[in-house]
Amino acid sequence: MLEMSKTVSWLTLLCVSVTVRGAPAPICPHGHPGCQAISLADLFDRVIQHSSRMHGLSSDLHSEFEQYFIPNKIQIGTRRCHTSNIVTPNGKENATKLAEEELTEVILKLLMAWGEPLAQFHESMTQHADYNIYSSNKALEMSDMVYELRNGVQKVAEKMQLLGIISNLLNGQDFLEGLDAVDSSEIFSVDYPNLLHCFRRDSDKIQSYLKILKCRILPENGC
Amino acid sequence: MGISSGPKPFLTVGVLFILLSPATGFSAPGRPRVINCRSPEKETFTCWWEPGDDGGLPTTYALYYRLEGSETIYECPDYKTAGENSCFFSKNDTSLWVDYNISVVASNDMGKSVSEPVEVDVVYIVQPNTPESVMVSVLEDNHGPYLRVDWEKPQSADTRSGWITLVYQLRVKQAKDETWEEYDAGMQKYYNVFSPHSGKEYMVQVRCKPDHGFWSEWTTPVYIQMPDYMPKVRSMWIMVAVISAFLILLFAWTMNVKQNSVKHCLLPPVPGPKIQGFDQQLLKNGKSEEMFNALVIPGFPPTSTYEDLLVEYLEVYDDEKRELVLNEKNLIEGSMKSKSTSSDNDSGRGSCDSRTLLMEKCVDESGTEQELSQYGEASWASSDSEGRDNPASPGLEDGKVQMWPSVFSSPQSHNFQQQHPGGLRASHHSVPEISCVSPQVQTCCGQQDQLEGFQFSKPGLYRYAQMYSMDTIECKHVAQEPQSQSQSQSQSAEYVEVQTVNQENVLLVTPLSNPEGPNPELSDFSGEDYSKVRDVTSDNVLLLQRDLSVSQFVGDYCQDQIGQVDPCFLQQQQQEQTCKLNAHLHHPASALQEDMRLAGNGYVDTTMMMS
Repeated sequence: MLEMSKTVSWLTLLCVSVTVRGAPAPICPHGHPGCQAISLADLFDRVIQHSSRMHGLSSDLHSEFEQYFIPNKIQIGTRRCHTSNIVTPNGKENATKLAEEELTEVILKLLMAWGEPLAQFHESMTQHADYNIYSSNKALEMSDMVYELRNGVQKVAEKMQLLGIISNLLNGQDFLEGLDAVDSSEIFSVDYPNLLHCFRRDSDKIQSYLKILKCRILPENGC
Repeated sequence: MGISSGPKPFLTVGVLFILLSPATGFSAPGRPRVINCRSPEKETFTCWWEPGDDGGLPTTYALYYRLEGSETIYECPDYKTAGENSCFFSKNDTSLWVDYNISVVASNDMGKSVSEPVEVDVVYIVQPNTPESVMVSVLEDNHGPYLRVDWEKPQSADTRSGWITLVYQLRVKQAKDETWEEYDAGMQKYYNVFSPHSGKEYMVQVRCKPDHGFWSEWTTPVYIQMPDYMPKVRSMWIMVAVISAFLILLFAWTMNVKQNSVKHCLLPPVPGPKIQGFDQQLLKNGKSEEMFNALVIPGFPPTSTYEDLLVEYLEVYDDEKRELVLNEKNLIEGSMKSKSTSSDNDSGRGSCDSRTLLMEKCVDESGTEQELSQYGEASWASSDSEGRDNPASPGLEDGKVQMWPSVFSSPQSHNFQQQHPGGLRASHHSVPEISCVSPQVQTCCGQQDQLEGFQFSKPGLYRYAQMYSMDTIECKHVAQEPQSQSQSQSQSAEYVEVQTVNQENVLLVTPLSNPEGPNPELSDFSGEDYSKVRDVTSDNVLLLQRDLSVSQFVGDYCQDQIGQVDPCFLQQQQQEQTCKLNAHLHHPASALQEDMRLAGNGYVDTTMMMS
């Protein structure tokens, strides 16, 4: 009798662990009992904090690299970011005119575009011995944060969809994969100051768009 | 050679012209410089430049800009709005997240000059306007007054849509101070400044900053005057201090007035010794001899007339080989004083109070164990001096007792032993089997009114007493008889209670049944084996009271004892009952004398025997 109960308990433990290790479940799928849902406001706060941190890291790295690299006059004029083809609102009116879905879409596009380049950036940094270790750590953190923020914004989008705030994002998962496909064909500049310059700008865009989105959906909290 | 001088004269003219022109003050304008560009709300921005040297000629300035990724050059749309030497970019002309390449060109008649280009991204040059409507007020709560500062966001900044996020900062200082105190208020639009000083004037300023950008200018200072107030806490403490000081003064004054009684209460005087004749003054004077001399009782220790009468211990023998030694304790000084002091003066009373007069067996022949126990000095009260024609046998006639000199003092006991070949063996707790001689039994201890009947038989164990005075015979008697009887017997010591002393100085004792149990029997006189001294005769005979209890047969003992002790006495005391000594200890006593008075305490109270 005792052995049977022991076996049962072991089995249940195994089952639980297996299910846990499975595919990451979305936050509180429909009707799941006992799941503690995070409010949308909290989700927004988290992603905005993340984006703020990411922007700070990019600013630091950019200023650090400007010391080492004298900007080329030619480069200044012809600076080109690989994300330039992504259409983004460049002013308040334009940004406020966009719908929530479009805003979310832009944000996700930007985040998707920067995942790979930053990883490459960090990797190449570690290969060069003369780079500062602190800068390398920042680059790594920045690279990780892009992925985290992407996941976070996806969760926000899902939540908004759940709440009926936005209609279906374009194809959901497929949409995101489509973005991936677009970006991988780009040849990323080895010009790191340029890279950092571009990323600093894009991270600011992401933060601004998120704030606009939040204050439009949840106008009470600190807007 | 000389014929075609074409360029040379032109050159000369040009050089001359150039050289001469400064003298006229005209030149191309100096290079202007773009000072900075600022955007107050991230929607418009303004650039200012600094003109260079104008070269003496009216110079015009033009600003041109170019957007990143484009070659199109635009000129500044608005030179007026922002004032002199400025260019204002409206909302339509402002694009965020785009680099502007801005340069200023100064031109006059003499030429142009172009400034250094400046690259600007509008999102990074945001410097908001100052906060507005700063209000300072004095509020109060439980802890006292405090300053509350309220303000509004700059109107131009659009925080509502989330376009800009502003954080605020304020600073406070007293009007006359030099240094400011800065506080960060975050995104809230109010702040509380606590614990300001009363009666002082304060200045408050506020500024703000976007999440990444520049701090705004400080607002114009707002002045506030703190009202005068007394902190509640401080006033309370002042009151407490005043009251406590008053109480302390009162207390000190009271203590001073009632000095003596306080001293008496706190430090009670040590009671002095209650020793008669003790004079503290003499002690304080430091002359110990005088003090001790004062303690000396005249007449004590008893003079030599009574010395030989002092009974240190009485030995009672019986023919049954029981040799008992009565030990009596002598009273020391105080007991000699008077019987009146006996009631309250318990010094030296202990021996008499003990109901058991330790008697010890004496074995004559075996001289090895000669422990003559001399327990203090027995003070046998003897009668007063009148009745003492024979100092050896004082009797009590009028109830006054006197101190008996101890017969059994240590040097004397040695004499005993010398005279007794067998020696006297004294062992503890030997019940004296005394032949009671005297029917007159009276207790002495505790009964002051019965002191008159003491009769010492001087040699009770008196034979000792007599030994001194009359030397030999009795001792032999004593020696012989117990010799035969006591040799074979083990030394057993038993207590005996001296009951009386007859006139012939015969100690009438009542033996105790068991030496271990004298104590429980203390309260029960009738059941005791103690001998109570009933009376002291004039011949220094201790008359023991014979017990009525069944368990004792005094007579038996007495006879034995007395027979051994002093056969002479036996003969002399025919009128008295003789105790048969052959009895054991617990033989019930025969008829007691009528006039035996049972006292509650049959001990010889030597304190009673005071003259």
